[in-house]
Amino acid sequence: MNPEVSGGRDEVLLRVRGLKVHFPITRGIVLQRTVGHVQAVDGVDLDVRRGQTMGLVGESGSGKSTLGRGILRLGVPLTAGTVEYDGVDIASLRGEQLRRQRSAMQMVFQDPMASLNPRQSVENLITEPMRAHGKPVDTTTVARLLELVGLPRSAALRYPHEFSGGQRQRLGIARAIGLEPALVIADEPVSALDVSVQAQVLNLLEELQQRLGLTYLVIAHDLAVVRHVSDDVAVMYLGGIVEQAGSDDLYRSPLHPYTRALMSAVPVPDPEVEDRRQRILLRGDIPSPAAPPTGCRFHTRCPYRQQTRCDDERPVLRELRPGHRVACHFAEEIDSGAIQPAEAAQMVGTAPASP
Amino acid sequence: MTTMTSATTPEPAALLDVRDLSVVFHGSHGDVEAVSEVSFSVRPGEHVALVGESGSGKSVTSLAVMGLLPTRSAKVEGSIRYDGDDLLAMTDHERRDLRGAEMAMIFQDPMTSLNPVVPIGVQIGEVLQRHKAMTGRQARNESGDLLARVGIADGSRRLGEYPHQLSGGMRQRVLIAIALACEPRLLIADEPTTALDVTIQAQILELLRELVSGTGTALVMITHDLGVVAGLCDQVHVMYAGRVVESAPRRPLFARPRHPYTGGLLRSIPRLDAPRGEPLTPIPGSPNDALSWAAGCAFAPRCGNRIDRCTSQTPELAAQHAYEPGYEQALRCFNPIGEETS
Repeated sequence: MNPEVSGGRDEVLLRVRGLKVHFPITRGIVLQRTVGHVQAVDGVDLDVRRGQTMGLVGESGSGKSTLGRGILRLGVPLTAGTVEYDGVDIASLRGEQLRRQRSAMQMVFQDPMASLNPRQSVENLITEPMRAHGKPVDTTTVARLLELVGLPRSAALRYPHEFSGGQRQRLGIARAIGLEPALVIADEPVSALDVSVQAQVLNLLEELQQRLGLTYLVIAHDLAVVRHVSDDVAVMYLGGIVEQAGSDDLYRSPLHPYTRALMSAVPVPDPEVEDRRQRILLRGDIPSPAAPPTGCRFHTRCPYRQQTRCDDERPVLRELRPGHRVACHFAEEIDSGAIQPAEAAQMVGTAPASP
Repeated sequence: MTTMTSATTPEPAALLDVRDLSVVFHGSHGDVEAVSEVSFSVRPGEHVALVGESGSGKSVTSLAVMGLLPTRSAKVEGSIRYDGDDLLAMTDHERRDLRGAEMAMIFQDPMTSLNPVVPIGVQIGEVLQRHKAMTGRQARNESGDLLARVGIADGSRRLGEYPHQLSGGMRQRVLIAIALACEPRLLIADEPTTALDVTIQAQILELLRELVSGTGTALVMITHDLGVVAGLCDQVHVMYAGRVVESAPRRPLFARPRHPYTGGLLRSIPRLDAPRGEPLTPIPGSPNDALSWAAGCAFAPRCGNRIDRCTSQTPELAAQHAYEPGYEQALRCFNPIGEETS
């Protein structure tokens, strides 16, 4: 059962259902035996509406980048599930059909230095995708793209090393939007940049969305960044989405214990807030996706874990409030305060425990 | 070797006092001044932050204090006094005795600062054997206790593990254990949580807070993250292009930033608790655009408060009326926020 996003007021551009990406772990040199699977993405449902921004947030190992690449089929074989883009199932496309489909879905990568060929001029770099897809290119195209991303026209004849990190990310964005895609997947678009420059790139992404009507899937580990740019936010943990809600709703009333902990761990640049807030410290690290815990994948670190059900039964995403879905057996009880965190959880901060 | 019993002396004399520090690197394309005119002091038990972006000189400053800069290519001038002694006048041998025992450092990336082919127990034990003249067996026992103190359960059983067997958070805990092995009076943490996930970052910051508070250990936190500073540090020095541009205790710094760079940084970070939909106000340009301080203010090309004077005259770091007694408050700006002349 896949609960549809409430209302259906907007058209869904990207619909992901039951997506699984498992990487085989092999042993042996000549005769390779598969001895297990890394369950990087394990059963994800996601709807991205046209013209909106969906934020995907999670820590390292949560599978957020693999999910992004899986949607684009970028070197990631899908194990199961469907990816429907504008009504077309791209999970079953092969070869030339897939290649053509990709012109409508582009990606912005994390490290602009690693994703731009240092030996190609800017002009070459940003027109390459267009040439590859047989789109007409002339000098005005380059000038227009540079203008769109806020770079001077003179940049066309220069090389990547001549630019700062923020400018390189602008080039990466110019490359992505040249094909006039409807969907842009941005994987950690600002995490490699200096703090003072991050805001420039975030503002550029928003401006381009308004000018070109783009739909974004923004993948990042920084909850504050994701919340700032996204209309909806999905929180991933160990290969699955644990909570999905409107951006403000998620911040005001997070329902999943992991989201709560994540939110309380993000430092706020304000001493008044920092001194008062209460932190939920999670114990230990994210488990290995090669051997995920049984039942709820978060139960090994969850301060609200309840005997046996959390260990045995994997919770499905269910809609608790309109547009707010959570994968937790006891979300209502935790929200109402009927279940209190176990003593094993470390709560730090001066504020009194609030339900 | 001195063992620390109670470093919290009633006398608030500075444990570390840096005055007019400058670091010049000799390169094949001429000399580069990475840090200049940097002054700050740290008292026992105090938490001081050096905040800046890449190229601001914050890491070079900490390496100069630790004496870890290459002597042939880096020229360090000014004065660095530790407990009254001038570190720059000491021999390499004397500084080596201080390092690890009296002052210790935690680096950003635990994978590159731990030796990958040596078990962690040996790496912790070697500090103890070197500085506390312990025997191998004593060091081994102590290492297990240290691991337990930094929150690694079953510490003594894990001494034989190698760095690659540990997660990023665990490795950072091992580095902290090494740094704290000899109960240093000064701990320098250079971006200790930048490579970590946010829930792990919260664990490590809490651990640092726990280990440092109450022992009188002075902490110098080097970071680009104003959020980390807000919850941990008493005194903040904001650096830009190798110089301190604003010094203040954390509350006034965050509530009323005076330097346009500090203000710009605070306005450009998305805040989790701020109402959504407010556009961010970025600082234009990038840290690469910094001017030379000789020609004026290095931040002038990116500054919204720029006046003519900013590009013709070099601003000095001027002491300000102290908001809280005992703290340093200073500003390097001709046209600060709130007192604009034009």
